[in-house]
Amino acid sequence: MSDESISVIRIRDVLLVTMPADPDDTTVAALQERTLEAMDLHDVRGLVLDLSKVEILDSYFARTVAETAQMVGLMGGETIIAGMSPAVAITATELGVTLGKTRTALTIDRALDLISKPGDGTRPRREP
Amino acid sequence: MNLEDQGEVKIKQEADIAMARRAIRDIAKKLGFGITETASIVTAASELSRNVFKYAGAGVMQWRTFTSGENKGVELRFEDRGPGIADVNEAVREGYSTGGGLGMGLPGAKRLMDEMEIDSTVGKGTRVTVRKWCRR
Repeated sequence: MSDESISVIRIRDVLLVTMPADPDDTTVAALQERTLEAMDLHDVRGLVLDLSKVEILDSYFARTVAETAQMVGLMGGETIIAGMSPAVAITATELGVTLGKTRTALTIDRALDLISKPGDGTRPRREP
Repeated sequence: MNLEDQGEVKIKQEADIAMARRAIRDIAKKLGFGITETASIVTAASELSRNVFKYAGAGVMQWRTFTSGENKGVELRFEDRGPGIADVNEAVREGYSTGGGLGMGLPGAKRLMDEMEIDSTVGKGTRVTVRKWCRR
């Protein structure tokens, strides 16, 4: 695997998708295709998108991430973004990018915890 | 203001946007910018070089580093012979876009950098100059 390619691995019923430090537009575009293909191929709850290596999140990258999460949602999966660095969070906010309603986690560990809980409070609990 | 170093990256294809980012990242780090400031400069370079590619098809990013007293800084200049911007004030306003993007390229880059100047003539082209000072 080169430094510039996306890694997609399956861990139990979750896909772990890791983005390289500085993906070019072609690599960013490949995120959508590779993620949706992997979703189709494996029976998974969703994916953890690991951005811990990423050095900048410009508007094109952010839009692709938000759109991918939306498509994964349509397929019935959940996306959790994990590991964004402080510099990336500060810069992306100043630039004005948002990631829609995509959930985030500080680390991959925490993201896996979030995604593996079926009743995580997002659904109303039925009264007895 | 003393010129320290300069260079340019031609923007002709999509992959050149990443080339421009890489060039600017090395320059910002070498000049002593911190991680967040470097990310700001690189992000602005990415947005502005994408604008060149998206609207004009091709252009150039010229960079130079300079010192002024104890201060160091970097200047990036993006030049193209594209359609130009009819209303520059409107273009740096939040949410403005004609290219089907999110419209955050120019206003976003302005927020990320310390100074921005836009010189544009409809039908002739656009020149966007941004500067950031290294505060230590």
